[in-house]
This record gives sequence, structure tokens and C-alpha cells, in this order.
Amino acid sequence: MKSKKIFALVMACVLGVSAIGCSKKDDNGESKTTDAATEGSTEAVDGSSEDVDTSSVDASDIKDWTFYACMSGKEINDGNEIQEEIAKLTGVRVKETWMAGQEPAEAIGAMIVTNDLPDFIDGGDASDQLVEAGVLVAWDDYIEKYPNLKEMYTDKEWELFRKDDGHIYWANVFGNTYGESQARGHNDEAFWIQNRVLAWDNYPTIETLDEYFDLLKRYSEANPKNEDGVDVIPYTALCEGWRYFCVENAPQFLDGYPNDGSVIVQLEGVDKPTIVDYNTTPTAKMYFKKLNEVYNAGLMDQEFATMSYDDYIAKLATGAVLGMCDQWWDFAYTVNDKFKASGYDELGYNYVPLGLVAEKGTKNHWHTYGDTLNSASGICVTTKCDDPDKAFEFLSRCLDQEILDLRFWGIKDVDYLVDDNGMYYRTQEMRDKWADENYKANHICAYSYFPQYSGTSKTSKNAMKPEDQESEFFDGLAKPLQDCFRAYDYDSYDDFLKSEHDEMGFWYPMYSYSNLMSTMTEGGAAWTEMGECKHEWLPKVITAKDFDSAWADYMKAYEACNPQAFLDEMQEELDRRVALANS
Amino acid sequence: MSSNEKDAPEIELKSKISKTELKRQKVLLIIAALYVIYGIVFYYLPLAGWVMAFENFSIGKGIFKSEKAGLRWFKYLFKKNSSFPRVIRNTLAMGSLNLISQTVTAIGFAILLNEVRNTFGKKLVQTISYLPHFLSWIVVTSIVREAFATNGMVNELLVNLHILKTPISYFMHTQYFWPIVAISNVWKETGWNAIIYLATITAIDPALYEAAAIDGAGRWQKIKNITLPGLRSTIIILLIMNIGNVINAGFEIQYLLGTGVLSPVSTTIDIYVLNHGMKNFSLGTAAGIFKTFVSMIFVFTFNFIARKTGEDHLF
Repeated sequence: MKSKKIFALVMACVLGVSAIGCSKKDDNGESKTTDAATEGSTEAVDGSSEDVDTSSVDASDIKDWTFYACMSGKEINDGNEIQEEIAKLTGVRVKETWMAGQEPAEAIGAMIVTNDLPDFIDGGDASDQLVEAGVLVAWDDYIEKYPNLKEMYTDKEWELFRKDDGHIYWANVFGNTYGESQARGHNDEAFWIQNRVLAWDNYPTIETLDEYFDLLKRYSEANPKNEDGVDVIPYTALCEGWRYFCVENAPQFLDGYPNDGSVIVQLEGVDKPTIVDYNTTPTAKMYFKKLNEVYNAGLMDQEFATMSYDDYIAKLATGAVLGMCDQWWDFAYTVNDKFKASGYDELGYNYVPLGLVAEKGTKNHWHTYGDTLNSASGICVTTKCDDPDKAFEFLSRCLDQEILDLRFWGIKDVDYLVDDNGMYYRTQEMRDKWADENYKANHICAYSYFPQYSGTSKTSKNAMKPEDQESEFFDGLAKPLQDCFRAYDYDSYDDFLKSEHDEMGFWYPMYSYSNLMSTMTEGGAAWTEMGECKHEWLPKVITAKDFDSAWADYMKAYEACNPQAFLDEMQEELDRRVALANS
Repeated sequence: MSSNEKDAPEIELKSKISKTELKRQKVLLIIAALYVIYGIVFYYLPLAGWVMAFENFSIGKGIFKSEKAGLRWFKYLFKKNSSFPRVIRNTLAMGSLNLISQTVTAIGFAILLNEVRNTFGKKLVQTISYLPHFLSWIVVTSIVREAFATNGMVNELLVNLHILKTPISYFMHTQYFWPIVAISNVWKETGWNAIIYLATITAIDPALYEAAAIDGAGRWQKIKNITLPGLRSTIIILLIMNIGNVINAGFEIQYLLGTGVLSPVSTTIDIYVLNHGMKNFSLGTAAGIFKTFVSMIFVFTFNFIARKTGEDHLF
């Protein structure tokens, strides 16, 4: 009997504990507790917020918060100088950690289950899971409270962020221009080529795949080895995980369409914007046939199908790879700095983009002018944060010009100088320092996933970011790159692509929807299987001895994944967005 | 563990159960109860989560409020054109290959090591051979990747020995993947798995060997007639226990070595669940239930066969 009682007692305890656990979770979901927390601490915030612009915050009042991004990145050191400077001004210090060796859904899933959340988070493709789990603080009230935040988007654009439950939980921080655009980079996808290859052929005009691979072939035959004796690899393509877009999505661009990512949105010759699958178009077949040809001619990296992202970056950093198709942000941050550090930039190894098309004369959209709003993810404040109001104040302060300058330009007279006209500039020494790994860890703090703008400064004529500043841009280029720009008479990277200057439709980009799909819906299940099928077959098709039969087998396997279910769901979403734009 | 030992105390218990006896064993019973509670809380209560497999589970709504879905997710696993049957094949194939190769090499290694007369050498080899067990798969896969690369050690060796004319790109062809996984597992685990066999061999009565030697048995005959029969019950019991793990063919090595081209042979159930179920917990749970049942069928079947053939068995 007694043992039964003990047993009952223990069971009661267990139940009690789990009940408490459950009820806590419920509270978080309704964000009631967060309101209470806000009230409790408003006194402290109010006390300092009045004079927050003029005086710096006491060291003891600085909030130490954490941020997690579902993206790979480099951690900066504790005590980073600009981070401390920003902490003094805003009263918030954010420790950033980055995803490594995981997929967003894994990382976020684990965080939700263990309730081990940071204060700020960017959930990437898994952002919807955070909403579902009810661990995010809604932005709605704070957008009204902080003009800086409200200013980020128009009311209609904010609507795109609104979730089914009627709340806004994040704002995407990228692709947002303040004032006049100063952009000189091409932060998107392209077929890239080392500028020395163009120089070797006297800066030709390259428009089609044939011309591109022909040039790579001729160059590699004439120069089979690099200056340091490494064999050149004329072309490579990354196939790993989600980054397989490097091999997968070129057909949409070759047909002249912009980066909707998972589908083409056709406008011409149809009565409403229509979803088209780019995997099965004649252009897709032509493109993979070309890759197959190039591979069998030995021009393509023989190990492209098995390399990991790290292998890929290491390969690019040796300067051996002459060309590839990729997004700028996927390689440039690491590779350009490596080139600079090893002096390869002076040998003409830097990549410039080419806007190739399937047929000469096709108008292309490799470069999208105007802003791209990806509503699928962005910066979120979680319910773990002990003072959400202060958190949103911090997000808002991030958009003060003073803080923006610190994040992107650095400290005045240390990282940049100001001339008599108030224009910022850097000396070569400052530029080299800014690209140095150690300096980055100890001095630079860009808070790169926090609210920001490109474009023009709020208070002066300077560009928001140094790489967009006219003088900085050109002086910052290595000598061979400058020659290349001069030879073509270009003054920014997008000139290379010759893309159309169209405004993108309100639905753009459609990947912001497909990225959030899961096997819960039929279309999502088809999307997962199409991804698996393409991961398996594209390398097979490229390496096949007999392309046509391999392509036929691939198409058979692809059709078995029921792509129509996916396309139908995409069409539904497209219709919804079109209706929203017209409302 | 043998059946005779197990049956005996059961009979005793039945005859002696009484209030006084229970009182006398109070402390023991409480200690035992703690373990029972532990088992219930951590092994059996979580099984309630299986409900998720029969709903369209959403984290926000929770187990009780999520919409019911019946057998939707089991149907999903076995619908037309599903890759799941192929995934099961991969899992079972790699699991069986691992089990067989590991058992054989571990026994062989233990016997060979036992024959070494030099104690220092024996200890040294044993220590070195079980160290890889402590390496994480991420390290081992890097080594494997390097070793089997087109310009790696394996290719170089085979080309220089004129067995191959040109190097093979092992990770581009599906037929090499299972053997590579088995070899990697053997390399990593043989030393560790041999420990239990070595311990069993040590327990064999030396008098048997002396008697055999007097009868003129050589080393080979001693191994065949004394060591192997001595290991027999250990082998059977370990096999029964490991056979349930066949379906856990692994996650890390396949995940880390697998690429798109290899996915038709490298995707195990765990990886499938990761790809299809990360944003869909219901599907993951359904696959998990399926996995559990397959494991149970294996263990019961093998145990049944062992019992029927008069071998030692677990239950």
C-alpha cells in the first residue's frame, strides 16, 4: 500500500511539473507575459530614453542579448570595438551566433523543442515554424511606436509580412534602398568569369552560353596552369544541399526572367500572370546539354557533383576556377578577401558577372533594379527577450544614421576620413585593414542581419555603404579590375549584365512562398520530392555519356514527383498576391 | 542470461510471496519502483506522442487540438512513386552489411588478439584498435572522403599496384557506397566490439586448452573446438540485441558522405524523416512508428528462431 502511495505521489509531482511546463508555454504564445514584462521594466527604459540621443549609456545598464541567424557567418570577438561603441550609444550589446552544418528547419526545430531561444532571431526558411510555435513578439504596436521601423516599408509592403493570425512578426532587412540608389554591385546571380580571361581575349562581348564556354575553353588551352602552377578548372558548379541553385536555376535567367527562384512568372501571351515550370523548358534542356558537353570535354570540374560548400569555396580561393554560376553573396565575401590577402586580385582573378541568355537578343533580368522584398524571413524578437520594447527600440536605433555609419563605415578618422565637401573616403591602408580577418573580428561590427538600408545617407550625400560610394568603389578595385571597367566603359557591376530596368511585379519574388512550403500540403510534398529528384538527376544528366537518354529518364522521374500539384499551389499564391496588389 | 537461470528464481518468488516478505524487502521494492517509474516516465509516457502520427500536427495547436488525419501519413509513406520503400531497402541493406561485417571482424580480431603471446604487444594493439571508436563521424567521414577521393590513398594504391588503370571516382557511383559505409564502420568499431568477445574468451577454462594440447591439438584446432564454441552464447545474445538495431543503419555517415548522385542508395529512414518531416512532425512520427515495428519484428523473430533451435535466447 505504502509503495502505491509513494508511486501516486511521484506521479502527481510529475504531472504537476509537466502541467506547469505546459501552461507556461501557453502564456508565451499569447504574449501576455511579455506585456507584463514590458510594464515592469518601462520605468528603467523611460528614464534613459529621453536623453538617449545625447548621452551614452552606463556600462552597467547595457543589455547583453543574443542573436541567431539561420545562415552561416563569422562570429566576432567579445569586446569588439565598434560593438562596444554601439552598446554605449544604444544600451544594447548583441552576441551573434550563426548556423553551422545544419538546415534552418533542423536548427529552429531543435530550438523550439528545447525552448532554448535567443533574444533576436532570423529563422530563414524555417521562420514559419517560429510563428507556429508562438515564440515571437508581434511587431504591430512597435511599428507605430518607432517611426524608424515604420519608415522601412510602405503600408502595402508591411501587409506582405502579415501572417494568417493577423500579426507581423518580422521585417526583412535586405534589399531596401533609402533615397537615391547608389548600388554599384551585383548582389545577385550571374555566370561569373575571372577578369583576366576577358583581358586575355581583349574584352569581348559575351552573350550566350556557347560564347562563354568557348572563351573558357580557348583560355584554358592557352593557359593550362596558374602563375603558381595550379591546374586551372575552366568551370565548376556547386550541387550541395540548398545551394544547388548554382546548377539548378539558370534556365529561368537564360530565358530572360527574373529570380522568382522556384518558378517563372509569365506575363506575355497569357491573360493573367501565370506560373511556368523552368525545369522542363527547351532552354533547360539546352543548358544541361551544354553542361554535359562541357563536362565530357573535360572543361568542367570532374568533382563538381561531390564537393561540399567548403570544398567549393576553397577551390575558388585558389584562383583556379575560371568561371561558375552563383549568387554574389554565396562566394564573394570569403573569396574576394582571400584574393586580396594573397595578392591574387592583382593577377586579375576577381570575378565579374555576365548576363547570359539562351538566344541572342533576349532581354534579361539577371540584375533586378529596384528593391526586392523577401517577406519569407527577417529579424524577429522572441518571447525569451526580457524587454521587448527595448529590443524594438534597439532595432529602430539601428536605423539611425549615426549607428548605420558605425556599422558600415566604421569610426571616423580611424576607418574613414571626411573631405571638405563632407564626403567620406578611405585610404588604401584603411581599405586593406577593413578586409583583414583579425580587424574584422576585433573592430568591425556590421550587425549584418539587423535593420539597414542601402542607398544614400539620411543626413549627407554619402552612400550608406562604402562599397556603393562612387570614389570608394573605383579606387577600391584592384588594378586589373579597373582596367576591365575602363575597357568596357562601365562604372558599376550591373553594367556587365545589361539587364532591363523594369520594376518587378508586386508578387516578386515567388520563392518567398515556396521556401516556406512543407510536406503538410500536396504541393509542398511534390516540391520536396522534386528537390530530391533534381539533386539526384542533374549531376547524372551532366555527367552522362548519352545525354538524350539520361534526360528522358530524368524527365520521367521528374514527372513522377507530381510537379503540377506544386505549380497549382504557386499559382494560387500568385493570384492572391496579384489580388492584394490591386486591392 | 540463460533460460535455466531465469526460470529458477521465478518459481521461488511465486512460492514465497507474502506480506512479511514484502515488508522485509521494503527498501529493495522502493528502489525497484524508482526504476519502474523512470521507465514509465521516460520510455512509455512519451509514446503518447505517437498520436501526432494520426493528426496534422501543428506546434501552435499542440497534440490535443491538432486536426485528425487518420492514416494520411502512413499512406504518404507508401503512396505510388514514393521513395520510402527504397529508403527502407537502403536502411536494411546497410544495417545488415554493418551487422555482419562488424560481428565477423570483431570475433576474428578478438581470436587473433587472444593468440598473441606478447602481453605488451597485445595491450598496445588493443588500445590502438579501439581508439577510433571515440572519434566523431564528422572526423571519420573527412578521413574516408580523403582516402577514397580520386587522388586519394585508395586510388593511388590500386593504380600503383596496377589493379586499376585509372582512378575511380568512388563517390560518383552508387555501387561503391554501401561497401564504403561498411568498411568505415569496421574501421571505427572493430576494436571496440572485440572487447566483449575478448572478455568472454578470457573466461574460458584454461584447463580445456591444456587438455586439448595434451591430445595434440594445434592452434587452429583449439580455436575451432574450444574458443568458438565458448563464444557461441555471447555471439547469439549479441546478435539478438543488435538485430533490432539493423534498422538504425546510421544517420551521420550517410548524411555526411551522401550527395545528390548517391541519394538513391544513401538515404536512410532517418535522413528521409529529416528531409520530409522537419516542418511536418506528423510524417516524422509516422515513419518513427513504422521503424519501431520493424525493429520489434526482427528481434522477436530472431529470438523465436534461437529458442526453436535450442540456442540461448533473450526472452
